[in-house]
Amino acid sequence: MVLYALIAGVLIGLFYGFAALGLSLAFGVLRVVNIAHGDVIVLGSYLAYELSTQAHINPLFAIPIAVPLAVAIGMVFYRFVAPSLGRSKDPEMLSLILFFGVSQVIEALATIGFSVNQDTLLTGPVGNASVQIFGQSFPNYYPVAAAVAVPGALLVMFYLYRSRLGLATRALMSSRADAMLSGIDVGRTSALSFGIALALAASAGALSIYVNGGVSPSQGTDLTTTAFAVVVIGGLGNPAGALAGGLVFGLAEQFAQSYEPNWAGMVPYVLLLAVMLVKPEGLLSRRVRYA
Amino acid sequence: MKVHRRLLGLAGVCAATGGAVAVLATGAQAGHTRASAAAAPKQIVVGTLYASSGAYAADSLPQYDGVKFWVNQMNKSGGVYVAAYHKKIHVKLVAYNDQSSPTTAATLYSQLITQNHVNIMIPDFGSVLTAPAVSIAQDHHQLLFDATASGTVFFTPNNPYIVGSGIRNSAFWPQPLVQFLVAKHIKKIAILYDANDFDAAQAATLDHGLKAHGIRPVYYQSTATTTTTYGTLIDSIAATNPQAVIEFGYNTNDVPFLNTIPTSGHRFNMVFTVFPGQLPQLFQQEVGTKNLGYTYTYATPPLVPYSKVNLGLNTAQFSRAFKHSFPSVPVTYPAMAGYGTALIAQEALAKASSFTQLAMRRAIGNESGKLTTAIGQFKITKDGAQEGEFLPVGQVFPSHGGTTIKVVYPTSMATTKAKYPAPKG
Repeated sequence: MVLYALIAGVLIGLFYGFAALGLSLAFGVLRVVNIAHGDVIVLGSYLAYELSTQAHINPLFAIPIAVPLAVAIGMVFYRFVAPSLGRSKDPEMLSLILFFGVSQVIEALATIGFSVNQDTLLTGPVGNASVQIFGQSFPNYYPVAAAVAVPGALLVMFYLYRSRLGLATRALMSSRADAMLSGIDVGRTSALSFGIALALAASAGALSIYVNGGVSPSQGTDLTTTAFAVVVIGGLGNPAGALAGGLVFGLAEQFAQSYEPNWAGMVPYVLLLAVMLVKPEGLLSRRVRYA
Repeated sequence: MKVHRRLLGLAGVCAATGGAVAVLATGAQAGHTRASAAAAPKQIVVGTLYASSGAYAADSLPQYDGVKFWVNQMNKSGGVYVAAYHKKIHVKLVAYNDQSSPTTAATLYSQLITQNHVNIMIPDFGSVLTAPAVSIAQDHHQLLFDATASGTVFFTPNNPYIVGSGIRNSAFWPQPLVQFLVAKHIKKIAILYDANDFDAAQAATLDHGLKAHGIRPVYYQSTATTTTTYGTLIDSIAATNPQAVIEFGYNTNDVPFLNTIPTSGHRFNMVFTVFPGQLPQLFQQEVGTKNLGYTYTYATPPLVPYSKVNLGLNTAQFSRAFKHSFPSVPVTYPAMAGYGTALIAQEALAKASSFTQLAMRRAIGNESGKLTTAIGQFKITKDGAQEGEFLPVGQVFPSHGGTTIKVVYPTSMATTKAKYPAPKG
């Protein structure tokens, strides 16, 4: 049981980290609290569901479709709301309210479009056979989720630390005013970052439909809560911290499920409180705050 | 002769007196009827909540449809008969959307009572969304006609303002399941249940029932109602090598649980879940024949039909009429529970001597054990918990184009024999 919980915790934890990356990026770059983050994951899940059930295409193909779509939508949306956020004395609070509204709209539209019922995919991303890891049987979507999450996170790191746009993005993370003074196109960089954040969320949706046992329009709030906890544990605004937070969250949840299932929903949040008390800035906040 | 004359005379006096009394009584009753009719409300307001989104929407919406169906039926026939006014009165339905949120539901229940002044109140689906209504209704002396909240905690000796009108108290549900497991000599049983009144009551009954037969579950754990990831839980269950796995959850738990088992690499001889019997179409779509086949569930109407009823339509008639009224909505147990509950409210109005909530409660209490509707017998405990309905054990069998649920226990109701252990593959 220990080995199973450990492996499951790492695999699912990597997924949680990946699912929270977009939220972390949006906050880190834009100081935007995207309450609709979970709803974007839900939309990604529905895209995967429709691809699989209507077009009979592997649901993981939702990722390459969702990425450019979400980046485009994100950039346009950011351009649309940025002036209001920029004028606000408290843009973080305004973004909270704004994205709460967006979340409600997405849920309502998803309910109209896909009905209130939970939708599930009966075939896993690579069939229905289980996978043996160190002598333990796992549903194949556990390692698949981790296998998508790790390169996805690495790509984000590559973008942030090995590209010119990434450099501009990190400059924005450090100081918006300094970035503007140094000639960085803040509007374009911010819009692109927001688009990438949405793309990450939508990509996580293609995996979430498996890990969370299906998709329903009202799932977004729970997903946002989980992502928010993961981001806070790892360090707000730090993409690397999101992965660390995901691992902590996943391990705590899976060990609790093994030994005290009734506490499984609570243990990760108790850890969140503990992290807040011991290291309020999160586990890995320093490195990126000053990167 | 004299005696005969005296007797005839006495009889005549008695007849005359009796006639006079009868005339007076009739006159008085007519007068009372006129007075009552004048005081009668223009409409009977039925209040309910539904969830158009969220975890309980799949069950809540059909329950709401069942209530709407009854309202339409009543109004087509000129209204619901109210004994206190000796007349039929038009029914008005007031319904609000709680979006599966107990907090929102609490506010809306108060609104139904204090602002809409409902005469009949039917809470939303299930224990989670009914729980806020219980204390609010008690505080406002409003009788709840509970359709599908079957948690034991709602029914207490000091609360006369709730009557289980639809689904049987969940504490009674697993009784046939206990007998089935004992009859099959299944001794290693794993029980996983969600931490809510509905599921905890079933788990406790199963646990006690098994222990009474000297069987101690090899796994007995609760998990959060929001659980949708079951890989680790199933692995923990498999480590105890159970002969049967019983999972008590809502449909949002049952679906991922059933879908995770085949992909987990583990296999169990018997798997029991709660909701496939109530929402067979949903489970066929979301779980599929392969994962659902040979699992067990409670068999509920319309799978278990009641042809002889003395209140409302029987199961087959309801199925036909409901399909006609709501062509896009499958005939499921929640829809029938909504209709069945409204019928109990109808009977309370038809029997209560005065138009008060407690009079209705007394009147319907007197009908306990005498009524059979499309969902079975209405029989309540002194605390108001429904104990009349019986939920046999059903097993899902693969059939052409899907699955069929057949009753496998008790043998007196069984339509086929249980396939235990479940065939491989």
